[in-house]
Amino acid sequence: MLNIYLGDMPEAIYHPPTYFDNTYEDEWITNSLSVKMIKDVDKSDVIGTHLIESPILGPISPKELSGGVKTLMLMAFDENERVFNASACGDNCSKWILQIGEAKELTINLRHIMNFGKDAFEAKILNTGQTVHNMKEFVEIAGEYV
Amino acid sequence: MKGRHRVIVKNNKLHYEFEIKRNITIIKGDSATGKTTLINMIRQFANMGNSSGIDVICDVPCRVLEGIDWKLILQNISGNIVFIDEENAFIRSEEFASAIQKSDNYFVIITRENLYNLPYSVEEIYGLYSSGKYQNTRRVYQQMYRIYSGMDRLSVQPEKIVVEDSNSGYEFFKFVADENDMECESAGGKTKLYSVLKEKQGEVCVIADGAAIGAEMEKLYGLAQENVNVKLYLPESFEWIILKSGLIASKEIEKILEEPENYIDSREYFSWERYFTHLLIQLTEGTYFKYQKSRLNPVYLHEKNKKQIVDGMEGVKLGK
Repeated sequence: MLNIYLGDMPEAIYHPPTYFDNTYEDEWITNSLSVKMIKDVDKSDVIGTHLIESPILGPISPKELSGGVKTLMLMAFDENERVFNASACGDNCSKWILQIGEAKELTINLRHIMNFGKDAFEAKILNTGQTVHNMKEFVEIAGEYV
Repeated sequence: MKGRHRVIVKNNKLHYEFEIKRNITIIKGDSATGKTTLINMIRQFANMGNSSGIDVICDVPCRVLEGIDWKLILQNISGNIVFIDEENAFIRSEEFASAIQKSDNYFVIITRENLYNLPYSVEEIYGLYSSGKYQNTRRVYQQMYRIYSGMDRLSVQPEKIVVEDSNSGYEFFKFVADENDMECESAGGKTKLYSVLKEKQGEVCVIADGAAIGAEMEKLYGLAQENVNVKLYLPESFEWIILKSGLIASKEIEKILEEPENYIDSREYFSWERYFTHLLIQLTEGTYFKYQKSRLNPVYLHEKNKKQIVDGMEGVKLGK
């Protein structure tokens, strides 16, 4: 289930990409979910735990991945029960946040109105306790908090 | 700082090219579009110059502002384009807003958060995109696009108007609405627009100052996307509408409106709508059209004058 806390959340990791650079595990990079997310968001291919092939930058290290994909990996694999600021992710990461939220109990902090797309989705807004099922419902609540 | 500044940032793989023309520009959008890479390249060039292997071409210096010493740095720079990445939480603070208010620098801020302390324009919120290879090189060409570009193609004949303004602008639109059996409500400020709009039924047109509405745009745009009856008309300001209508005879106005950035100094005006108010007051002082922000001069409601102002509102038809 995806849980969203909207607005300021002091205990959340404000800039997940920096947190990722200092805490990620090599095996996260080659996990099949990461490989798909890196291909979809960064348009890059995972060659190994230390090497990714970017169509623009050429061979890069995991630290040169986008802030969005780093944040997605933290959401998927971090086991410290941290809450991450998902506003480090663009709208092109939203489908992956929904997917991670289907597989586990995921709580994120959002400081902007992320576009979760036209299809129905389910997320609990922790500020109000309400569950939203589409963007119309989400925008109506999120607009009051971010 | 005044004027429009072209910025080119390039190395052997990337070529960024864009123009900055207001004191505050926001870059947001999808992940992996090269925002942080742009910041890294500007930082490396600022620190190492040509020995970085990066070229930054601009008529003013470009630099990155970051870290705990940001206030000290800001106090000591002038005439720069200052880039700030999203990891710097100080961009949300009142202290930052206060520090840049009379600054002689332009600021390019990378963030998806809405910065309510800053009056930035709907026109200066951009995303980055790759538009292919740059002129037969291997470099990928990165450009900016306006996130809220659809505002230009408005076509609306609303049943109701919600005006941000509670002063002269509201008085004007209330008068026009009453004449045409339309509803007109003042939201009492831009921050209240969203709450007022949520309660409205039927076709509603919001009239607000585009010059400073940036932080509200995400939720207003989201509402408009999810509700076809909500339309957003976002000129620079009410005073800009009057100036643009041609009602005030002055050769200077047309020239200014064509390139306001050449006349508006960031040290004097935090956002453009303040300049247009000042300009209108200055140009009409001692004339029949004497303008006051707090109370509308009834001369603007005379049939011919009113029609000229309303007719100048592109895409909005008020009345029959």
